[in-house]
Amino acid sequence: MTFPTIIVRGLMRRPVRTGLTLFGISIGIAAVVALVGVSRGFETSWNVGMRTRHIDIVVSTLGSGITPKPFDASVRDRVAAVPGVTDTCALFVDFTSVEDSPMLIVSAREWGGFSWNHLKIVSGRMPNDATEPAVVLGRTAAETLKKKVGDPIQIDIRELKVVGIVDGGALVENGSVMLSLDLMQEITGNEGRINIIDVRVKPGSSEEEIQRVCEAINRVVPEAKAMSAGEHIASSEAYRFVQAMSWSTSLLAVIMGVLGVMNTMLMTVFERKQEICILLAIGWRRRRIMLMILGESALLGLLGGMVGVLIGVLGVKAIHGLPGIRGLLDPDLSPRLFVTSVTISIGVGVLSGLYPAWRSSRLTPSLALQG
Amino acid sequence: MNAAASNAATPQTCLFEAVGLQKEFDDGRVQALRGVDLRISEGEFVSIIGPSGCGKTTLLQMLGALDHPSSGELKYRGKSMLHGLDAATYRAREIGFIFQAFHLLPTFTAVENVQLPMLETTTKASERRERAASLLKSVGLEHRTDHFPAKLSGGERQRVAIARSLANQPSVLLADEPTGNLDSENAVMILELLIRIHREQKMTLILVTHDLSIARQASRMIEMKDGRVINDLRGALRP
Ligand SMILES: Nc1ncnc2c1ncn2[C@@H]1O[C@H](COP(=O)(O)OP(=O)(O)OP(=O)(O)O)[C@@H](O)[C@H]1O
Ligand SMILES: [Mg+2]
Repeated sequence: MTFPTIIVRGLMRRPVRTGLTLFGISIGIAAVVALVGVSRGFETSWNVGMRTRHIDIVVSTLGSGITPKPFDASVRDRVAAVPGVTDTCALFVDFTSVEDSPMLIVSAREWGGFSWNHLKIVSGRMPNDATEPAVVLGRTAAETLKKKVGDPIQIDIRELKVVGIVDGGALVENGSVMLSLDLMQEITGNEGRINIIDVRVKPGSSEEEIQRVCEAINRVVPEAKAMSAGEHIASSEAYRFVQAMSWSTSLLAVIMGVLGVMNTMLMTVFERKQEICILLAIGWRRRRIMLMILGESALLGLLGGMVGVLIGVLGVKAIHGLPGIRGLLDPDLSPRLFVTSVTISIGVGVLSGLYPAWRSSRLTPSLALQG
Repeated sequence: MNAAASNAATPQTCLFEAVGLQKEFDDGRVQALRGVDLRISEGEFVSIIGPSGCGKTTLLQMLGALDHPSSGELKYRGKSMLHGLDAATYRAREIGFIFQAFHLLPTFTAVENVQLPMLETTTKASERRERAASLLKSVGLEHRTDHFPAKLSGGERQRVAIARSLANQPSVLLADEPTGNLDSENAVMILELLIRIHREQKMTLILVTHDLSIARQASRMIEMKDGRVINDLRGALRP
């Protein structure tokens, strides 16, 4: 018999309670895995979207809300004139509900701008010109909306026609409804206004060079802010909100886990008072008693973490399969997240075991002799 | 040759020396020991007898370093137990405890219970298991090694507890009414086992009991009353 056996035996003496505690922590850890995985996945797929479109800099007011505030289209000319900028494309992007689908990206792009270039036609065709009342749908958007080429689609108050379904090579693109900027401005009454400018710089520019161009743009464009594509999503208020939500929910879940494990471990210490006294009476050091209690709670954490990762992954997979969500989520379920989550869980176990362990070490062995 | 003669013939190492030992509980409202003076030599078999509440268990707790005296001096092999010894090491290596209620741990088998004290002293698991098995054999329980305490009879449980008390080859066995929860047949068996261990291993045995006939088996009988030693008889105690 070894010390680990003793720790395992301690947990096995009350299998139901151990099971329930385990379940409690694992739900918390599952929440961490799901929320952090989803928000990180959002970031990754956004960045992949930027890269496939070869966008180096985004000029927008994304910092201020869920969808960026519109500004005057003339800003584009000022941006284009900044040294180092090689190409620009003006957009009007809205994150909104379309027909039955609660949240879709409606991305209106300057006709002839480079943001159209990488789209590959899966079926149908591109719009004929800037004013044709037509849209193309990304593949997942088409699935979500259950539309095929030729179907009507309602954008804002206008009925347009789906003329093509495209593959944009990235999740964000495939989940979008794309149309010409002129058309969108006309439909929404935003003539002469845009809210995003995609910017390209010289190919092969370093991150520092890109930063310098951003600064140059920011000097001439007070209405909006230029950020390198990578920074852009991380600084968006919407994204930051989602991230804060996911971390605070996770924190809450972790605190619940700590309380659950602490409660269980305190119960076990009280219940085993006499046994602990006997162990002290037969020569166990207080340190070993503490290690036993800490070991039990750490093991609870480890097991809870592993079960939690499993539940989290299954949960995310299940959510991902829901029709309305497919186009928006590409969760980042990386081994690193699993390791982090299990580590957090073990930490929860150790943390919650500290007080019970301290309590157990304060028992006096003479109690063993009475009764 | 009786026990008294052997005590007189060979000068023995003094194991315990208590001077004015007092123990109070509840801020002095209970005085369990009211000044005990006592010397116990190595290899002695001492029984402690007295009415309920006279302080027998309390005295045993002091000797086993389970609790501190309120005042007075207690020495083990000439060293102050309060200042000169590490209590946990002392309990693990020098003392074997045997309780009236057996106090086996219910989630461990017989052979595992015997191994519990060894975790503080023996590093190799295989060695622990081997020694525990041989200790169980020496108390006649080789066929019960993997039984949990709940599946053992009272006498068997106490034999496991005795094997456990011997786990680290202690110098002293402290037994607090070891036969108190047993029928007379098992009580005799346990007593004989303890006496055999005392004889064969020259182990000091201090045994608390209510039962005069058991107390008389010892070579020395200490009688207590109201927290004091009122009689200390040596020699032929058996009627
Ligand atoms: N932890 C304690 N707190 C308060 N009083 C105690 C405590 N332990 C013992 N006592 C009291 O000290 C006195 C001596 O108790 P002790 O257990 O030593 O008696 P005993 O001789 O072993 O009795 P018994 O034969 O019934 O086991 C008793 O009056 C008991 O109530
Ligand atoms: Mg007693």
